[in-house]
Amino acid sequence: MLELKNVTRRFGPNTAVDNVDFAIPEGQMVGVIGASGAGKSTLLRMINRLIDTSEGEINFGGVRTSALKGQQLRNWQRDCAMIFQQFNLVPRIDVLTNVMLGRLNHRSTVASLLNIFSDEERAMAIAALERLGIEKVALQRAGTLSGGQQQRVAIARALMQQPKVILADEPIASLDPRNAQIVMQSLKDINQSDGITVITNLHTLDTARSFCERIIGMQAGRVVFDGGPDDLTEDAARKIYGADNLEDAFSEAVTSTSLNGSRSKSSGSERPPVARPAAEQNPVYA
Amino acid sequence: MLATQSNNPALHIDADGNYDVDGHFKQLRGQKRLYTILGLGALFIVLFFSLWFANETNSGKFLDRLPHFFDFVGDLIPRDGWEIGRALFDLSSPYFDGSLKFNYPEGRVYITESLYIPEYFYKMIETLNIAILSTLIGFIFGFILCFLAASNLTTERWLRFVVRRFLEILRAFPEIVIAGFFLAIFSLGPIPAIIAVSIHTIGALGKMFYEVVENADMKPDEGLRAAGGNWVERVWFGIVPQIMPNFLSYGLLRLEINVRASTILGAVGAGGIGEVLRLSISRGHEAKTLAIILILFVTIVCVDQLSAYLRKRIVGNQAFEFGA
Ligand SMILES: Nc1ncnc2c1ncn2[C@@H]1O[C@H](COP(=O)(O)OP(=O)(O)O)[C@@H](O)[C@H]1O
Ligand SMILES: [Mg+2]
Repeated sequence: MLELKNVTRRFGPNTAVDNVDFAIPEGQMVGVIGASGAGKSTLLRMINRLIDTSEGEINFGGVRTSALKGQQLRNWQRDCAMIFQQFNLVPRIDVLTNVMLGRLNHRSTVASLLNIFSDEERAMAIAALERLGIEKVALQRAGTLSGGQQQRVAIARALMQQPKVILADEPIASLDPRNAQIVMQSLKDINQSDGITVITNLHTLDTARSFCERIIGMQAGRVVFDGGPDDLTEDAARKIYGADNLEDAFSEAVTSTSLNGSRSKSSGSERPPVARPAAEQNPVYA
Repeated sequence: MLATQSNNPALHIDADGNYDVDGHFKQLRGQKRLYTILGLGALFIVLFFSLWFANETNSGKFLDRLPHFFDFVGDLIPRDGWEIGRALFDLSSPYFDGSLKFNYPEGRVYITESLYIPEYFYKMIETLNIAILSTLIGFIFGFILCFLAASNLTTERWLRFVVRRFLEILRAFPEIVIAGFFLAIFSLGPIPAIIAVSIHTIGALGKMFYEVVENADMKPDEGLRAAGGNWVERVWFGIVPQIMPNFLSYGLLRLEINVRASTILGAVGAGGIGEVLRLSISRGHEAKTLAIILILFVTIVCVDQLSAYLRKRIVGNQAFEFGA
């Protein structure tokens, strides 16, 4: 159980995240949506502790993670993997080593610096790459891969951390529709077969609808919606994105259309199909 | 203050609330031209007084002594075409008269009974050795310190402050000042020169290094931090791979500078090629002087060319890879 209690983050006079309060049970797949600047990234970064909270507290399994320091903080960061829009790999190092860097916190610094990884760790990394279908590029430099491949490497690295939670900050925002589909599907798979909680920021409403069992909508730092995909009515969307930005939320309808289109063949999950393009589904927004 | 005010578009909004871009541009352009003219004027004044002051403080008047320069050059003309070659390779000279002037074979450094290194080649190696060793030492310590001085990696202000001031002090003094100091302690020889050049190199490279580090892309670092990596691991895997080509390039550039610095230090007592050059000039050994100048020239050109070639390769590759 991940609990946020009255979490606030200020940058100078700006309040990026304003008194956010929710709990996420283990194994849930949650999408956080909202217009640009709503505070989605800030929220995830506070959970991973890339930045600190200004007020409030974050607890995981009874531990107050928002107050951890030193090695305990790094242990929490290991348990709470993060995936970024720009992948954040080390471009000049090969893919396999990049994936094994997910083990940093499991091993001694000296062994890491000398590049000594055990056979098990290498096998684990290769297995993670195979799971994501990119074992062929294992020995290439990460910087030479396509965006979609890099994001899958980042997911493999996250898996190597053996995390309890995976946070993803707009993981598909710089990918083409096909790769976006693959990446979202991988996250969904990990959530379903490993039972890892996944919290992902998404720019578009439809992706969240298709892949997440719970959607949290943010507007100007506040949570203005929290519910299942079916509860996300037009009114709710208007509240999240504001009347002016509503078109924005669907501007990538093309993306989400092809997402849903290709989804039908690759996923046989029990989730209710949300295959209709946004425009058809909600003609009002189009 | 003035500049920031005139950069303010708000001052160029007319009564109707329109922003007069053209007027603003002209005002800024006029200001820039005025500064350019003032700057050039100041430059000429400074240049004039510097020249005048240098001539005043010179011991002999420069212009009076100028003809002696041509005497000196005239004396340098060798007796025959082979004399420089003999001086260079320590071959005995037909002009040998028992004086130091033509005692070439005496400087040979024998490796085996018959195989020897000519004296000036050996001296050049001594000087190169000082340069290479102190560049390496400077590189290693500059490398260690630069991460502590970089504001994107070291958040403790006081630590950054201390390291930066330390680097500043190290590079504040020219090598020759530090060397003079250590020569007094350790007496003559290459060790004081190595210490002096190393100290200056740590300071100089350390500063360049931390500026490179501050321009590094922090995304890999952020990825590793989010995965629970500690500071050393983040630096080693997130930062070092991207800054290494730049560091090597700066290190090579520093090597070029240090070859020259060690030559100069030789002339003040650190041994090596600089010392024999000074002795040879002051004793009026023309062929030896020319041989030393030749070997110095060739060595410096070779080091610079090799370094330029390596730097181009290193940074060229990096430019290629960064786009991805
Ligand atoms: N490091 C920072 N310094 C100052 N302001 C920031 C910083 N990070 C985010 N903000 C501000 O916080 C608000 C929320 O940003 P962010 O969390 O990135 O939104 P989102 O991810 O939803 O687009 C924005 O107004 C942004 O300008
Ligand atoms: Mg964001």
